[in-house]
Amino acid sequence: MNKAQFEALAEAYGGDIARWPDAVREDAALLAGAHPEFARAVLTRQGQLDEALDTLPRAVASRDLFERIVASAAAARRRPRWLAWLAGASVGTALAGAAAAGLVMGVQLSQASAVSAEASAQAVADLDVFGVSEEG
Amino acid sequence: MAASDPDEALLARVAEGDAAAVRALVGRKLPRLLGLAQRMLGDPAEAEDVAQETFLRIWRQAPNWRTGQAKFDTWLHRVALNLCFDRLRRRREIPTKEPPEQLDEGPAPDRALEAHDTGKRVGAALAKLPDRQREAVVLCHYQELGNIEAAAVMGVTVEALESLLSRGRRALRAALADLVEQ
Repeated sequence: MNKAQFEALAEAYGGDIARWPDAVREDAALLAGAHPEFARAVLTRQGQLDEALDTLPRAVASRDLFERIVASAAAARRRPRWLAWLAGASVGTALAGAAAAGLVMGVQLSQASAVSAEASAQAVADLDVFGVSEEG
Repeated sequence: MAASDPDEALLARVAEGDAAAVRALVGRKLPRLLGLAQRMLGDPAEAEDVAQETFLRIWRQAPNWRTGQAKFDTWLHRVALNLCFDRLRRRREIPTKEPPEQLDEGPAPDRALEAHDTGKRVGAALAKLPDRQREAVVLCHYQELGNIEAAAVMGVTVEALESLLSRGRRALRAALADLVEQ
């Protein structure tokens, strides 16, 4: 590693060699040992920027947000049953409407219902976010 | 890679509906996700929305998670970043929408009181970076991802990541000229 490479790495990864990529840390330490003044100047300069960046306030997750997200997992597990009803109703309604309008030629309403049930099952399968465990 | 994924076992329990695992996963990932979104968007309320949306994706993905694919944390960062970019795109498409406070850093005299608040200034400088430079800085400096993982999240080479990092940090240095050596 030469000085230019050392400087380029510091510019990208900052003033702490411990945070540089594994693959270059050893070479960087060797260069810093060979040119301590140069290395110190480069790392100090980048370290100042690191320190400034670290003053950005940390995001703090509220208890309320935590609980809402936890609850969303349970809701996601429950959702397929609700969607099953909705999907069944909507597909059934759509097919029944199509049949009534004469758009589904030669298909009896009872057959449409059978198709509806099959389509609903598929829709539920597609939407079942928790697969087998949902059935359990 | 995935064989040593520290989240894999927890994710499997989440997929089985283990309530304790759900709480553990939220506890483990929420602070990082929230930090990522807040630094990308500069808006705490939007960051919360992104965190919630990301977890909804997790709940859907957990049962389908397969060993041998990307590390879960890498996938998670990509999902959250995509949601952030959706919101950043919407902001640009709807210019009338009021931008978050951090994006508005005009030199008006009434902002003099905030001049000493370094953290806010850093937030404003970060918000002004081009999206990809901000993404690189956030992933490497704040999220502390390794260069290979950060490059994978961003879908770029390590060289491209380093270029984005260097340009981003140079721009931040210029924006914070009175705080850091030039």
